[in-house]
Amino acid sequence: MKIIPENNPNYALQLATERKKNFTSWLLTAPALLWLIFFFLIPYLIVIIYSFLTADIYDVKFEFTLEAYRQCLTPAYLHTLFLSFRLALLTTLLCLLLGFPVAYYIARAKDKVKNTLLIFIIIPFWTNLIIRIFSWRIFLAYNGVLNNILLNLGLISQPLEIMRTDIAVILVMVYVYLPYMILPLYSVLEKLDWTLLNAAMDLGANEIISFFKITLPLARGGIFAGGLLVFIPALGSYLIPQLVGNQKSLYLGQVITYKVKNIPRNWPMASALSLILLLIVALFLIMFYVLYSHSKSRRRV
Amino acid sequence: MKRFSLTKLFKGLNLTSFTLVMVFLYIPILILIIFSFNDAKIITGWKGFTLKYYAQLLKNETIQIAFRNTMLIACLSTLISTILGVLTALGLENKKFSGSKFVSILIYIPLVIPDILMGVSLALLFNFTKVNTGMLTVLIAHITFCISYTIIVIRSRLDDFDYSLVEAAMDLGAKPSTIFWKIKIPLILPGIIAAALLAFTLSIDDFIITFFTSGRGFDTLPIYVEGAIRRGTITTINSLSTIMIGLTLLLVVTTKRIRKIVISSL
Amino acid sequence: MEEIRLENLSKDFDGFVAVENVSLSIQSGELFSFLGPSGCGKTTLLRMIAGFEIPSTGRILIGNTDITDLPPYKRQVNTIFQNYSLFPHMTVFDNVAFGLRIRKFPKNEINDRVKEMLTLVKMEDQANKYPDQISGGQKQRIAIARALINKPKVLLLDEPLAALDLKLRQHMLIELMNIHDAVGITFIYVTHDQSEAMSISDRVAVMNYGHIIQSGPPDDIYERPTSVFSAYFIGATNLITGEVIGIEDDYVQIRCPDGTGNSFEIDSTFHFQPAIGQELTISLRPEKIAISRNKPRYQEDINILRGVIEDILYLGSHTQYIVRVGDLRIRVFSQHKRVYFDDTALDWEEPVWLFWHDTDTWLIDEIPENVLTADELSEGGINHFQRSLKRPTAQ
Repeated sequence: MKIIPENNPNYALQLATERKKNFTSWLLTAPALLWLIFFFLIPYLIVIIYSFLTADIYDVKFEFTLEAYRQCLTPAYLHTLFLSFRLALLTTLLCLLLGFPVAYYIARAKDKVKNTLLIFIIIPFWTNLIIRIFSWRIFLAYNGVLNNILLNLGLISQPLEIMRTDIAVILVMVYVYLPYMILPLYSVLEKLDWTLLNAAMDLGANEIISFFKITLPLARGGIFAGGLLVFIPALGSYLIPQLVGNQKSLYLGQVITYKVKNIPRNWPMASALSLILLLIVALFLIMFYVLYSHSKSRRRV
Repeated sequence: MKRFSLTKLFKGLNLTSFTLVMVFLYIPILILIIFSFNDAKIITGWKGFTLKYYAQLLKNETIQIAFRNTMLIACLSTLISTILGVLTALGLENKKFSGSKFVSILIYIPLVIPDILMGVSLALLFNFTKVNTGMLTVLIAHITFCISYTIIVIRSRLDDFDYSLVEAAMDLGAKPSTIFWKIKIPLILPGIIAAALLAFTLSIDDFIITFFTSGRGFDTLPIYVEGAIRRGTITTINSLSTIMIGLTLLLVVTTKRIRKIVISSL
Repeated sequence: MEEIRLENLSKDFDGFVAVENVSLSIQSGELFSFLGPSGCGKTTLLRMIAGFEIPSTGRILIGNTDITDLPPYKRQVNTIFQNYSLFPHMTVFDNVAFGLRIRKFPKNEINDRVKEMLTLVKMEDQANKYPDQISGGQKQRIAIARALINKPKVLLLDEPLAALDLKLRQHMLIELMNIHDAVGITFIYVTHDQSEAMSISDRVAVMNYGHIIQSGPPDDIYERPTSVFSAYFIGATNLITGEVIGIEDDYVQIRCPDGTGNSFEIDSTFHFQPAIGQELTISLRPEKIAISRNKPRYQEDINILRGVIEDILYLGSHTQYIVRVGDLRIRVFSQHKRVYFDDTALDWEEPVWLFWHDTDTWLIDEIPENVLTADELSEGGINHFQRSLKRPTAQ
């Protein structure tokens, strides 16, 4: 039964108030909405258009072609895609392996120290990215600090060539993205009811079984979130491979950047590669969303 | 004692990995800071304490211009994106707003897409519209990536807002405008400050989007530093980095409360 | 047959002694309760039996095996946790099957036994639900099923009813007793609620400050408390201190100062040998005292006191009177049968007679540090009393 029938004057009043409120909301959100349409959505339309145009040394020619996509599918670029994918996956896994015990440790620490420990994780996160990468260059360089220490300790006789290798890239990637993994993991582990682990042990599960049967499944949300927060930016990273990697194995971010910034330019290819990257990201987001909502909805049926 | 060796092993493992990660996170930065006082042209070995690279910083005009550019862009983009953030968050407060879903999705997408894509797409937009890249284009880009963050931070603060306070104010005879300025704004102010701070940090930290949208002749600090690293003129970068780390630390330490709001809302 | 034995168990947490030198044995099939205020060490004791805390000193034996050093997952002991601790990511069925799956039982046996268990707790039609889809009482049943399916020798219950509302609590209490009768294993029950412990247990151990103050069947503890603490913690009581002034073969005369400089005399039977001049405490249960505005007929074995009604509290099944005797306040419960004594209801500030049988006076060989004030008495809070109790010193 409707409490206010439609012919009641109160109903009309209520409707009018709601309409007015709705209008105000449109008005308030309009500036940001228009801004994002102009500077976020429309640029992507241009990217789509450009990906079908013909490349020129400095600009594009407005002639339709599928050349950019054809080139993207050549072995050289597929290899780049593969490298980037491998790098992102490896970074994510290493961050998870390294970040989980850390998040676990902080979550189980005493309340008083928890915040301090978290701040220690976050400070690097607030420090300028380039500076952090630069500090690794000093650390890893051929005549850098690490090699000096190892040489002086007599552990090596020849300086290690870590800089400008894929190892350096992965090392710095993990370094930069680790906090993105630790924070969401921490936030789920912090909410975990530890008596559940007691209950599991009480029922005969040892520490290892209770970890895999209780802790890990209950931390799934954090693992998904952290995984996405690391994987997606890692997939398109430019600065880290550019500053500590070598020019022999180029990653997707570098290739896209070169096609935009270096002469001869190839904007259609940059666009096509960007769209491929966007597509991969979208697929991953959808996959994670489905997995995540599946694991959640099972409980709500 | 053999009792609970597995639990102890777990605990030990966690403590060890925490310590290792701490070392991992801080060693490079510490070395960088120490070497900024090293009296040597190259980074090998310790050659004695010096402040000469800090003095060089003061003389280097390019760095000073880059610093001024960074601050200008950061301040302007923070101001504009925070204002847009407040307005949008207030608009989204209406639970029956018909555009709620569309606006929310549009806000969240930029957060889950690699930065480089925003850089490329804006670079192409400015090329397509034949706008000369420079300060204006960088500013536009920075506002674009800051908006999402400011809206989300302020919105989460508004979500926590206790509506009974508004009712209490009405009960005590306050007009809607009084309620807005005297109750609502003061209560969400920490959220607004947190959002502004986040936008400011994101802006001064950004390299890749600026790299795509700035033309020649408009360098921000990250752009300058990257170029200097590539060119190999790195003597002043240690000292410059140390100063920037110091500023960040100062910001982090002095705004403990605000940082908490940012963390909890993201 | 003896099922579980605690020998000189102690536990201290960084200098805080939670449990001190507890020795006890519990019989097979017994429903044994630890009862005490929060922080008395009862939960620590339970966690030591379960294996979650390592005792600082002492041993725990089940049957004849020493289990002190065994981790929880190797003990034939299961626990019902205070908030049930059901695994939120598993169905009711999977929760109950957990223990058997860990022990790698064959699939069809697991199926059969889970179904059997769910039937026992009347939850057979909820097997596929998740813990957040069932009610508190149902969660309780699942927790019981999940523990009992492992056929433990001892089931530990840590305040299992604390999270339920009153009506459900009373219902589950009966259910628990039925389950105990059905499975016949030893239950160790921890609670701060004296009525729960009294109604469910075969034996109760009253705990305070890490010690067992008294243990025995519920009626023993209620009727014959050996310490001021157990007298006060179990049920309500009046505590009066006095000095022995005369001893005959089966009763003593005690002079009790009333706080105004005057005193009155109480006769009592005794269960320990008092000495003339000894100070002791009298525990007088409020329901044992009769109240009337008419002076009762003199009888040799009846104590009679004169007082003034200070407060009347109607409580439905009975009425509580606070009666002023000198400076003392005596609490009296009277069921609504006043026709026997009086025609009209008693009133505030009315002089009354209190009387009770000598055998209802109970003597305790102990003096509390300070006697309760009238306010504390009328509030009836145990905390006030606890505060006034001296912490027992370690021997």
